[in-house]
Amino acid sequence: MIWLTWRQFRVQALTAAAALAAFAILLAVTGPHLASRYAASAITGCHGFGCQSAAITFLSQLQATSPYAVVYLLGLALILVAPAIIGIFWGAPLIARELETRTFALAWNQSITRTRWLVVKLTLTGLAAMAVTEALSLMYVWWAHPIGKAIDLGGSTSLFSGGRFSSLVFATHGITPLGYAAFAFALGSAAGALIRRTVPAMAVTLAIFAAVQIAMPLGVRPHLIPPDHTVATIESAELDFGNLTATVVPGRPGAWILSSGAINHAGQTVTNLPVACQASVLGLKPSSPSQCMESHGFREAITYEPANRYWPLQWIETGIFLVLALALAGFCFWRLGRRRI
Amino acid sequence: MSAVIAADGLGKRYRRKWALTDCTLSVPAGHVVGLVGPNGAGKTTLLSLATGLLAPDAGTIEVLGGRPAAGPAQLARVGFLAQDAPVYAGLSVADHLKLGARLNPGWDTGLARGRVDRLDLDPGQKAGTLSGGQRAQLALTLAVAKRPELLILDEPVASLDPLARREFLQDLMEAVAEQELSVVLSSHLVADLERVCDYLIVLVASRVRVAGPVDELLAVHHLLSGPRRDPATLPDGLEVISASHTDVQTTLLVRTSGPVLDPAWTVSEVALEDLVLAYMSQAAGRRRRDNRRHLEVQK
Repeated sequence: MIWLTWRQFRVQALTAAAALAAFAILLAVTGPHLASRYAASAITGCHGFGCQSAAITFLSQLQATSPYAVVYLLGLALILVAPAIIGIFWGAPLIARELETRTFALAWNQSITRTRWLVVKLTLTGLAAMAVTEALSLMYVWWAHPIGKAIDLGGSTSLFSGGRFSSLVFATHGITPLGYAAFAFALGSAAGALIRRTVPAMAVTLAIFAAVQIAMPLGVRPHLIPPDHTVATIESAELDFGNLTATVVPGRPGAWILSSGAINHAGQTVTNLPVACQASVLGLKPSSPSQCMESHGFREAITYEPANRYWPLQWIETGIFLVLALALAGFCFWRLGRRRI
Repeated sequence: MSAVIAADGLGKRYRRKWALTDCTLSVPAGHVVGLVGPNGAGKTTLLSLATGLLAPDAGTIEVLGGRPAAGPAQLARVGFLAQDAPVYAGLSVADHLKLGARLNPGWDTGLARGRVDRLDLDPGQKAGTLSGGQRAQLALTLAVAKRPELLILDEPVASLDPLARREFLQDLMEAVAEQELSVVLSSHLVADLERVCDYLIVLVASRVRVAGPVDELLAVHHLLSGPRRDPATLPDGLEVISASHTDVQTTLLVRTSGPVLDPAWTVSEVALEDLVLAYMSQAAGRRRRDNRRHLEVQK
């Protein structure tokens, strides 16, 4: 059965291997240069405030230099799209094509049970899906390491701005790619078992996976662990005066800010800059905007996940997708039961 | 004589529509059994139940004394050639043989290779580019090289041209003679079955209309023709299967174990095809009458 699985999966496997190799070459060629640029930048040996400006300089120069910006975006896109491609081209045809071409009647009349047939197919192809996606992610993490460090130091440009909690970075780093790959593959298989035709199963797989990929960071991830709350001074929260949101959580470096906003002395949320302080922002008054707002009794309320919850969140999100994948695999077994073919 | 397939009150439903209802039949071992019936009689459903591709919704079915597809051992004992002989289009002939060898502990490599050589199949050719006849031959090779005790074929020649049809059936007969298999094959064409089957089961609307060894069936059925008369006046022991009348003449297909002695009748042998058609139309006529009665009651 292992041989048959490999024989039927050979073309897809070789395609994936070729894509993986091409990506590896691209990263191997550009990665060392990126690392040496980082080593040669002013970030090495920086102190205090100097580090942030050094990081900003490093990142803005990097953004202006070909091909780093392109590779950075391409890598993120590839790791995000890989599970969808796997779900569509590995998962959806796995069962649907057998049903569509009626070859299941051939496969299931050899001297092995259909349960074993499905166990081997789902396990081997599923593990391959997880391995390919995680391999992409690990290579990319190695390549983008200097950029991540510069962002952690407070550096930010229009392109290189996502800290490790940002939607795109969180879903492409760590162990979450394993979960996304397993889920997308199982989703494709289950859609094929349910719809019984390859092309519609592919379309449904893409639609559902895209929806899940969008819903996860927006609606689910912030609620996986109940966030912490704090009220900080305007000064220490390093307020963005455009929309009155905090850019840091005082005493909690690297925290993931879920929401923040200024509150007045009565505890009510303020959405616009108080009229009394507008002149300070424009530089028409000697006091800084922070001093002005604090003198009027404003404080900043912040809801956040501290930095040390990064790995618990990674494990929970990956675990959710693995459980969903197992449930979808279970659905495939139920669906291929002998009453429903 | 033990049964290779024994069904009792067997039923299978697709959503709310029953494809097979209350089917009770017994297929004897050591025969090439033809399962014949009109389209929609439930032949494919019955054979799918026998191979375990489907599970029954009512009644029971036993194949070689076991539950169909209950485990690897049971699967190894039954070879199946599905309708239209599905094969993997992207895999070569050699790949298919390898598939058979890997998935069947009882695989007979010599037999498989010998058949492919004899049938002149190119091992490197993709199965998707084979002709319909070659595809059926390849699928049959897979089914017999696992050395089953029972070979089940669902409409194996329905989609083949007459020449390929003849070659396939001839080849099947050789394989059967070599391996001493029990065979069940379904068809809606009697002419195909006549050449290969020594036992016949006529299935109409899930019911067995007649079953028995072909020579026995031919021995007890007679075609009578003579001056026009009412079939009701015939002596006991003669069962009229079909009757047709012209103004002056009556032609009857009858079943009787004894000889027909009435000199008014000209007795002739009946062809298998006429016999099968007579049983099928008898069933159809009965159904029509039932429907009509049903309509009258509703009125």
